[in-house]
Amino acid sequence: MERYETQAVVIGGGATGAGTLRDLSLRGIKSILIEKDDIASGTTGRNHGLLHSGARYAVKDLESARECISENRILKKIARHCIEDTGGLFVTLPEDDPVYHNELLEGCKISDINAREISIKEALRLEPNLNHNILSAIWVPDGTIDPFRLAASNILDAKEHGAGILTHTMVTGLELKSGGNIVRAADEKGNQIEIRCDLVINAAGVWGQHVCSLGGIELKMFPSKGSMLIIDYRINNIVVNRCRKPSDGDIIVPGDTVSLIGTTSREIDYSRIEELRVDDDEIDVLLEDGEKLIPNVSKTRALRAYCGVRPLVAISGETMGRNISRGIVLIDHSERDGAEGLITIAGGKLMTYRLMAEMTADLACSKLGTGGRCRTAKTPLPGSEKKISERKNVRAFTGISQSVVGSTLYRHGLRVQDILKRDKKNYRLICECEMVTEGEAEYAIKKLDVKNIIDLRRRTRIGMGPCQGELCAYRSAGLFADFGIYRPEKSIELLYNFLEERWKGIKPVLWGDGLRESEFTYWIYEGLLGIGEIKFDDDPGDGDGV
Amino acid sequence: MIKLENISFDHCIKCTVCTIYCPVARVTHLFPGPKQSGPDAERLRIKNPGLVDESLKYCTNCKRCEIACPSDVRIADIIQDAKWKYVKKGFFRPRDFFMSRTDLAGSLGTIFSPLANFLFSFFPVKILMDLFLKIPYKRSYPAYERGTFRRKFKKLAARQKTFEKKAVYFHGCYVNYNNHSLGTDLVRVMNAMGVGVELVREKCCGVPLIANGYLEKAKKNALFNISSLSGAAAGKGLKIISTSSSCTYALKHEYSHLLDMDNTGIYNSIEYVTKFIFDRFEEGARPPLRPVSIRAAYHSPCHLERLGGVMYTIDLLKKIPGLDLIILHSECCGISGTYGFKREYYQISQDVGYQLFRRIEEADPEIVITDCETCRMQIEMNTKYRVMHPVSVLAMALGDER
Amino acid sequence: MAYDCIIIGGGLSGLTCGIKCAEDGLRTAVISSGMNSLHFSSGSIDVFGYRQGGGKVYRPFDYMKETAKSNPAHPYSRIGSRMVRESLEFFNDQISLAGISLHDNGDENHFRITGLGVMKPTYFSQDSVFNDKFKKAVEERASIAVLNFDGYRDYYAELTVSQLRKNPIFKRTGIITGKVTLPFYTRTEKNLHEFRSIDLARVFDTEKYLPRIAEEIKRAARGARVVSLPAFIGIDNFAQIHKRLEDLTGCLIYEIPSLPPSILGLRLDNALRSRFAALGGEYSGGDRVNGGEIMDGELDHIHTENYGDTRHRSRFYVMSTGSFFSAGLRSGFNMLDEPVLGLRFSGSNRRSDWYSAKFFDRKGHPFLKYGVETNKYFNPFGSDGKAVKNLFCTGAMLSGYDPIREGSGGGVAISTGYFAAKRIIGEMKKNK
Repeated sequence: MERYETQAVVIGGGATGAGTLRDLSLRGIKSILIEKDDIASGTTGRNHGLLHSGARYAVKDLESARECISENRILKKIARHCIEDTGGLFVTLPEDDPVYHNELLEGCKISDINAREISIKEALRLEPNLNHNILSAIWVPDGTIDPFRLAASNILDAKEHGAGILTHTMVTGLELKSGGNIVRAADEKGNQIEIRCDLVINAAGVWGQHVCSLGGIELKMFPSKGSMLIIDYRINNIVVNRCRKPSDGDIIVPGDTVSLIGTTSREIDYSRIEELRVDDDEIDVLLEDGEKLIPNVSKTRALRAYCGVRPLVAISGETMGRNISRGIVLIDHSERDGAEGLITIAGGKLMTYRLMAEMTADLACSKLGTGGRCRTAKTPLPGSEKKISERKNVRAFTGISQSVVGSTLYRHGLRVQDILKRDKKNYRLICECEMVTEGEAEYAIKKLDVKNIIDLRRRTRIGMGPCQGELCAYRSAGLFADFGIYRPEKSIELLYNFLEERWKGIKPVLWGDGLRESEFTYWIYEGLLGIGEIKFDDDPGDGDGV
Repeated sequence: MIKLENISFDHCIKCTVCTIYCPVARVTHLFPGPKQSGPDAERLRIKNPGLVDESLKYCTNCKRCEIACPSDVRIADIIQDAKWKYVKKGFFRPRDFFMSRTDLAGSLGTIFSPLANFLFSFFPVKILMDLFLKIPYKRSYPAYERGTFRRKFKKLAARQKTFEKKAVYFHGCYVNYNNHSLGTDLVRVMNAMGVGVELVREKCCGVPLIANGYLEKAKKNALFNISSLSGAAAGKGLKIISTSSSCTYALKHEYSHLLDMDNTGIYNSIEYVTKFIFDRFEEGARPPLRPVSIRAAYHSPCHLERLGGVMYTIDLLKKIPGLDLIILHSECCGISGTYGFKREYYQISQDVGYQLFRRIEEADPEIVITDCETCRMQIEMNTKYRVMHPVSVLAMALGDER
Repeated sequence: MAYDCIIIGGGLSGLTCGIKCAEDGLRTAVISSGMNSLHFSSGSIDVFGYRQGGGKVYRPFDYMKETAKSNPAHPYSRIGSRMVRESLEFFNDQISLAGISLHDNGDENHFRITGLGVMKPTYFSQDSVFNDKFKKAVEERASIAVLNFDGYRDYYAELTVSQLRKNPIFKRTGIITGKVTLPFYTRTEKNLHEFRSIDLARVFDTEKYLPRIAEEIKRAARGARVVSLPAFIGIDNFAQIHKRLEDLTGCLIYEIPSLPPSILGLRLDNALRSRFAALGGEYSGGDRVNGGEIMDGELDHIHTENYGDTRHRSRFYVMSTGSFFSAGLRSGFNMLDEPVLGLRFSGSNRRSDWYSAKFFDRKGHPFLKYGVETNKYFNPFGSDGKAVKNLFCTGAMLSGYDPIREGSGGGVAISTGYFAAKRIIGEMKKNK
């Protein structure tokens, strides 16, 4: 049994939890974060990575629109290496209602979103791959955001300010009593952990219902599934939205080296949130609608499909997914349930994670009666301290391809200096699709709370390229053994689990080159290496889960 | 902007086979290999052109990676394209300009051929060219003929009209300025098969222009050639034949793949000469051949490999009586057009060819046969053997009389 | 008619077929687009390694006879174990003429060691791959040093050893891991640590380095009698290099195939292609057959990408274009076909039927069994439903077997290729 004592325990390692942990740490409050899986492994890492301008909400939900544009401006300053200021378009297709175009412009004006109508010619110049039959276009300050890096940077900064983090640790019990709450948890090996704290912050998103229930409190979550499709490379360099009422398949976001087609929306029962899968007809819808925005979608390899659950809290009687407010829900359970030491933060969206963290930390501070003012709107995340000069940083390294340095810089900002240590072994490529070096893998494994290859993927993009881990999975497993992190047997198990995890996203889009790729990967790991014959001590046996 | 015409990189399944067959990556580690420079990096360059790595300059465009690729990825095209689209610096333009204008240099060279040939083989001149033009002094240059092949052809033109069957000959710069006898051999071979030869107006096919990044100029030439050839040949259902494997490849594939030109009108008419001969022989138009009694080693040029045309040349050579043929292991000679004429690449070019030169010496033939003019220059410079074109060998078997 | 036989696809099956045809004096051409999958293979020839319901096969020909009863549509069942054996003998002879000696264990499989230390059943292996000679040394209590090269990223000795230790054969064997450094080779411009197997194979091929390498191996082996290296001990002269290394180090040295490219497979490919050329076969590597016309149950002609409208004619044709991976089969959004001639295909068109829920499902994946349907002579069916009598389909493009799950890819490729060649040769004789 491990015992800790701290001021606040944050449950949930998504963007909100990570942001809250950072906010508390910057205010000098001692905190520990517990996450049952990995940082950004839940809803945070399962959206389309859009840096909203707010325009999407400007017609129906002005409050969200205002929150978005304000956070948009803040994130562009504090999280430079997690975002890309691509700009975005709202385009009207011939079959769309042209009225929406004007409503959107009007809404943006009211919400202080700098949107402007542009000519079709200009739109096609900005995005040459766009459907040439569009009727009108609006430019909006959309961008892209990498949720994995965002959450990981928040955690990194919190750690550098004294916070603690326990990933792959499941909360098993919550004892809420005045004068000291106890959070019980267990890690994957079964080690029991007990944390005594003044305050418990439930930032577990859709899993917050379960967390509350551990403390004997009822909170009803309303899960709605959204599926997305990733395609092999960037078919667009600017975010493309469809100018119509929110519905399935209305956005294509260029995310790092790929493009993402989003999103569907389907109600699901809370009991099913651990076994989500993308349905075949969702793929059909996404491809069909994606092709209408950018015709080239149909000619491009679909890399994978995945889905996330929107963490909507059902406070009132609403039952429809898209109609439920996506607003921020901050609950002080002392008022609601008489539980002095529990706060729940839920609802909201990735875009407003920082605002949610700020609101939560404010409440936490007032409850604890300590702490200073929020600094997260001004203090840049680690790696984004200064404006990043690509040329200067890339030139500082020799003997390594500029593509590799550039990619590392893109992912880690100024921390590139800690990652590439001018040692040739450190420079070697592990993932050739996404240009991830051994140095980057080592940095992630040792500094960014990476416990397995799946976590490593979230920090570095290993295995996220077209080959989905065909060569780099084996190499990564080798590195875990090489660095002495795990016994070699365990490393092979990580390899096995990683390939199974990749398969979950690949199989819904298994055709064409993707099928060829999978046949090749299967050939290597089953035929050449014989991994299927290995018996692991604790057989993973996970089914078709998230 | 993403160029959607060439998205073949999307088919790459990262099998690594191209890395085995890249001759440049074999000899220098300055080049990270076709996989990394081609499909891998292309995704990054699309994301951000600033992520281009200059090392892709070392690619010779030999296309052996494309031959190896089981996924139909046009790797060399991707690299060539990226070279001129994204790498903006590090090229030596005065020399590249001069080198890529083979027809300009050729027309001057043929007018002053004795002087030009003397100067280009005169050591102090070569030193100066090395210093000022970065053309390695060790390199020997092809000699210029006096006058052009086209002029010479005028004397043969009348006889060509007597044949019922005809074909258009795209002679290219090399035959026009440097090697008339290959042109006349071709005419003899064609005539012996009962085919008359026609010439149409043509410009340099564009291979050296593409290799040196003068894409606009190359497009102009392509446009000229396409219209000239389609009018004169394809329109009348005639085949267009070439004795240069690289010209053939450019006319057939690079026009559309790299220059975005529409060459569908001539695509099916263009044939490398040995394929044409193969078909004529199959049709029964096989002229009587006399034994040549010669021991020869055959080297297959990269671009003919890429065309899938090597088997027709070998087939032709096998049909020549008395030709004791050694087929050399298929590998790049290293010159790759103008690549081997540049000081910064000279050593790589020599290293690539080294194995081939050794294998030729081991075989110790009387002559070497190859289809490509620059392969010929490279082999003649690096070995003691005379190099002949398959068509010239066939002409030899036809005997002396007209 | 220019050719007696045109073979589309120059892999293990196509080349075996081509060699047999050429040896018999037929005018044979192979048109291959892209390099074959030997380049990614283990370099061993698996004939039958795993039983239908799971478990290893020890006597592949016996299991073939069992299969003939339980699964008459399996390619082996159509060929018969006798002819399979004959084809393997033929293959062995041809490969040895090209200078590669293959180890087999008579009627029984032997077990090769994989990069993850798994022992996989296989039938032929190159002499330098773990076989009974090494096994015997191990049983005589020789210790093993499993070595990697310092910085080589495509192989990790520790992973191999972790599984080997679990195997009863090695229970009483001392196994150590170690790293061989190539100090004299670090002064290259390239990052030594990014070397692929092919780069290192070329270092070995440059024989002048061998004494130094041997010294380093000896140092890293720390007195072990048997040494395991990732498979890149030379390409062209590997047999001599292997022997010299063993002499110089005094150790028995075996190779473990690492991630692609596979040097063991490359050697086989070189050997097959050189045999084919030596027998007068014609090989084209840069073109792609993209169509043909079937008339009245006969393939009349084919055409290729580079020669547009030219019709290539031959008396007989063989297609050995491989599976999906090699583009012999094609899958699209809810569709499957054979892309060159549109031959009758066996497989479900609903894509959710193609795969199993887990990647390493013990049953494998249904799509691996999909392919072209043929009659018992391996003649496929055209769109009119008639068997195409002068066309044979061989190798991985065939339906009805799972090359990876069964461990039968190599054997089916060789035996079907050989079978087609025999049929063609027989027909040619009849027609004369």
